[in-house]
Amino acid sequence: MRKRIAGCLVVLSLGALVAGGCAKKDLVKEEPPPPVTAPAPEAAKPAQEARPEAPKAPVTEQTPVREPVVAQEPARETPKASGDLQGLLQKIYFNFDSSDLSEDSRNLLTRNAEYLSKQPSVKIRIEGNCDERGSDDYNMALGERRAKAAKDYLVNLGISSERISTISYGEEKPVDAGHDEAAWAKNRRDEFVVVK
Amino acid sequence: MIRILLLLSLLLLGPQGFAAESYLDVTAPTSGKMKLAIAPTTALSGSIPADVARELPELFGFDLGIAGPFEIAPNEVGSALLLKSAYGVQGDTAIIECRLVDQVLNREVVAKRYSGRLKDLRRMGHAFSDEVLRVLTGAKGPFTGKIAYVSKASGNKEIFIMDYDGHNPQRLTNNGSINLYPDFAPSGKELIYTSYKKGNPDLYRRELFTGQEARVSSRSGLNAMGVFSPDGNKIALVLSKDGNSEIYQMSRNGKDLARLTNNHAIDVSPAWSPDGSRIAFVSDRLGKPQLFVMDANGGNLRRLTSNGAYNVTPRWSPKGDRIVYARKEGGFQIYAINPDGSGDTQLTSAGSNEHPRYSPDGRFIVFSSTRDGGEGLYLMRADGSGQTRISPDRALNTHPTWSVNW
Repeated sequence: MRKRIAGCLVVLSLGALVAGGCAKKDLVKEEPPPPVTAPAPEAAKPAQEARPEAPKAPVTEQTPVREPVVAQEPARETPKASGDLQGLLQKIYFNFDSSDLSEDSRNLLTRNAEYLSKQPSVKIRIEGNCDERGSDDYNMALGERRAKAAKDYLVNLGISSERISTISYGEEKPVDAGHDEAAWAKNRRDEFVVVK
Repeated sequence: MIRILLLLSLLLLGPQGFAAESYLDVTAPTSGKMKLAIAPTTALSGSIPADVARELPELFGFDLGIAGPFEIAPNEVGSALLLKSAYGVQGDTAIIECRLVDQVLNREVVAKRYSGRLKDLRRMGHAFSDEVLRVLTGAKGPFTGKIAYVSKASGNKEIFIMDYDGHNPQRLTNNGSINLYPDFAPSGKELIYTSYKKGNPDLYRRELFTGQEARVSSRSGLNAMGVFSPDGNKIALVLSKDGNSEIYQMSRNGKDLARLTNNHAIDVSPAWSPDGSRIAFVSDRLGKPQLFVMDANGGNLRRLTSNGAYNVTPRWSPKGDRIVYARKEGGFQIYAINPDGSGDTQLTSAGSNEHPRYSPDGRFIVFSSTRDGGEGLYLMRADGSGQTRISPDRALNTHPTWSVNW
């Protein structure tokens, strides 16, 4: 036992990752089974029950360390700073499990491209989103595909791909918390966010 | 089942193996389960606090009731097995002595003495439940493992861990952004997850006891759904850096990246086979999301599911004989299928059920369900029986994953 404790101390000084593994040995201390004896009659029970060995070491457990609050996602630029471009860029919407651009969406993207072409120094981030009905794993990729579909369309209209980044929030950022088609339709969307 | 138990018991108990015969005698004709009674916890010396006297028998009843082979009997008389426990305190150390007694042959099957801090009482109790299963079935219980999950208890999605039965929830992340897809390393001491805390959905690896953390993949786009290989040396994950979501594998430190899929479709949710040779995943390359299996180097691709229009989130059983997944049919239901595509079986039907994962011993499946309103955590036996809520609160809780025993 002394050897094991010494081993732990050495490992602790070597690195925390390994220390976790070493600590495991002492997490729950259990004893080898005591010799089996015939159960005693009720009256004599305390005296005749098997006597497990004394514990060798206390149960130890470490508490996961809490993470400090860190930086949030990049802040959105205020509309004012980019000449109200943020206020002009329109969201587009999608059908369920689809990243196809509807005629409405293509018209809106054409208009967004015109605004962007007038302010060539501005960069945007396209945020793809889904409704809550699909698998959230799958929706993470679907949101990505929706953002990429809009980016590709804007690039085809002459907007430099260098100016456009994409991100998927899957179904993690609904604008409407409802659970009906009206809410889902609002949540299946791309948003266009001015970042610079 | 009883016959298997008998055989295992004979093998394990050695000279005392004949004791198992008694379990057969008592239980065979009726329920098929061994009757196990749980005696009130007694005091090793002096008196016992009322909460302890209540808590330990409840804990054993929950563990061994959900385990499967036992019927928890209300009366000691007539039960094949009796679980006895005694509690004592020495200074700030709690001690419990636990015994499992075969009442038919009047012999002790297993006895253990545990000591630790007062607050570790439940851990000590679960350790004995693990031991009871080891002695009676040949495979230790998973009850001292932890479940990591995603919770909105604090308003946004953070990673939490709790005991397998929902006790002792602890928050692991506290960054105010979106945190998703927890996965334990095989050691149980590290966790990987995806967080938006620096803007992009990047993959982080957290050492649980020290809190030390590394950002192991921050490539452009998604760095999501990371899962440790069974040997802990690799991570399979979804990246979208090359244009759309694809499955990759890399070292546990994010190096040595290898792309496994190459397709314009969505490819997500990788899941290792327990021998590390294959990866199941989800792709909509044939139109709708379906399960596929490939070799761990990306070769030998084949479709796994042929029923259902929308099948997602595969997870391999620890023995490798089943793959559990969720099928969307209105809401989601959990199914399990053999890796060769046969034996497709529905396991849930109440509410919408997602995110199934096996316990490390393969006995159980944890999952999230809306059956009681909201989305909470549940567990069931691998055959779908014994579905039980384990959520620690009423918050939205999803994506449970069960570690090896701590």
